[in-house]
Amino acid sequence: MFIEILDVIISGLLNGSVYALMAIGLALVYGVTKAFNFAYGSFYTMGGYFAWVLLVSLGIKGGYYTVFLAAIPFLFVVGFFLEKALISPLRKRSDWQMKAMMLTLGLSLFLDIGYISVFGPRLKSLPDIVEGTLTIGPFVFMNQDMVIFILSITGLLCFAWLLNNTRVGMAVQAVAQNPVGAQIVGIPKDRVFAATFAISTIMVGIGGILLSQKNFVNPQASTGIMIKAWVITAFGGMGSIKGSLYAALIIGMLEAFVGYYLGMIHIEIAVLTLLLITLAFRPQGLMGRE
Amino acid sequence: MNTKSMVTILAVTYGFLGILPLFLGGSSIYMRILTMILIWSVVASCWDLIMGYAGIFSFGQVAFYVIGAYSSAIFSVSLNVTPIVSIFMAGTITAIIGVIIGLPCLKLAGPYIALVTFAFQLALEPFLKGPLGKAIGSGGSRGIISVPPIHLFGMDFSSSELVPYFYLTLVLTLICSAVIVVILKSHWGTAFLALKDSEDFAASLGVSAFKYKLLVFAITSFITGLFGALYVHYVGILSTRMLSMEVFTVLLIMIVVGGIGQYPGVVLGAVVTVTMNELLRPMGIYRLLIMGGMVVVIVLLLPDGVTGLIRKFSFSRWTNKESRSIETHESNL
Repeated sequence: MFIEILDVIISGLLNGSVYALMAIGLALVYGVTKAFNFAYGSFYTMGGYFAWVLLVSLGIKGGYYTVFLAAIPFLFVVGFFLEKALISPLRKRSDWQMKAMMLTLGLSLFLDIGYISVFGPRLKSLPDIVEGTLTIGPFVFMNQDMVIFILSITGLLCFAWLLNNTRVGMAVQAVAQNPVGAQIVGIPKDRVFAATFAISTIMVGIGGILLSQKNFVNPQASTGIMIKAWVITAFGGMGSIKGSLYAALIIGMLEAFVGYYLGMIHIEIAVLTLLLITLAFRPQGLMGRE
Repeated sequence: MNTKSMVTILAVTYGFLGILPLFLGGSSIYMRILTMILIWSVVASCWDLIMGYAGIFSFGQVAFYVIGAYSSAIFSVSLNVTPIVSIFMAGTITAIIGVIIGLPCLKLAGPYIALVTFAFQLALEPFLKGPLGKAIGSGGSRGIISVPPIHLFGMDFSSSELVPYFYLTLVLTLICSAVIVVILKSHWGTAFLALKDSEDFAASLGVSAFKYKLLVFAITSFITGLFGALYVHYVGILSTRMLSMEVFTVLLIMIVVGGIGQYPGVVLGAVVTVTMNELLRPMGIYRLLIMGGMVVVIVLLLPDGVTGLIRKFSFSRWTNKESRSIETHESNL
């Protein structure tokens, strides 16, 4: 009984930590650019396929080290140029937020069907990042779970460092606080928008590489992941990074417990109910500002 | 757009669609396409009314359509209600659910509404497939088969009687389009325009955003549910596949092609999109790839859809240019 609960908690923590990585990327991009990215989940799947192509299809040397080293610049370039080509031309119009939502929805369908037509509809499995288990008394931990947890927490810390200690991060924060003011002091606003979009693409893509080891690379997973990241962001407070962290862990735990005790099919209903109740009492989310 | 040109465009489009069965009545493929154009044009018009005019970023339109379809199917299959009664009951149920969703939603800021309504659509599928859905008679993942056709004036309106069904749909389409035009041209439409331009100023003049938005949410949910119900009695079978991203995107393309908040435009969008969707069907999976790419390209190149394109080449060019320059000026501030 106790061991079962521990398993559920571990699975909740594991999912929660990766969700945190993805949701914080989304909170960042919404907080800074105010663009609603509905193609976010497709970048998660893109990360999974990128790892699959390198590891399984091409069989490169160096395993996951090479994958992460190659994925970060790849995802950055993809995100940067998609923002430049698709989102930034819309900004001229007054109703651009709605246009951006529609465009990214179309983009997500295009990418998801693109994956199916290139790689086929079957799920792809990624090799484990590390093998083996660690046994402490009656408890058995999978090394893979621990490495995924550590990597996503490391990713979060890297992100926090980047945002608070580098000039790029400060520029991002300045644009988030006041785009006009940031432009006056000479911050290239458009480039910051594109860079933020690119950073969020990296975060969700890495999340895809980490979680696809456990859940397979699935071209149909994109919508679910996208909505999950959005729910966490809204639950924690749009644009609030700390709120997203807590919300990701709460949702991860909720999912694990609901999935274990009531069945997988109730997860989405439970998550939506939690979101509706929270928004009914706190429309700005857990830690959001009015 | 003034009332006269709005009504003219609608009358010409629906009139043209209305005489086509005289020539194409023998071909079941064309009749199916024509019927689907009518159904989708109303559903998309409702979405345009919510999103383009009332300014509510609701992404739950497909969910309301499916709720209408399921409630009518459940009423007529499990409770033996006559289909012509059950489609109106389905509309009412959908309107009630719309209000329940709308009450918390409409107090939220724009993007939150999109999120909650979209999540609502995603949660509907596991609900209908799961034990809760089975308890109310949704048939689980198998769906509902053998939904009875609509029986009226001693005639059956179903997929085997395509021409009568088409005209039944046309009558309902004309009624619902008239309702939409009346809403847009009444003081409601003016209220929406005022709220969209400046919510604070409109509120200070005594325009209650919440009341109008909730009312329009209820009315469009009713119409959408009604047409969902109409559709289910036509095809006779129902499953949760209606909730797929594909249906959602096709509906989205209609609005994108027609132009958001350019009312009769979305009807033209429905004509173009449904026809193209059928023409691309032999391409298999690439059809969706093209549809997705099309959304991206049209949003980028034709922000006001075909309506914007028509207006560009018509006489109102000068006034339009003026308003556009004001718009860009505002967004730069």
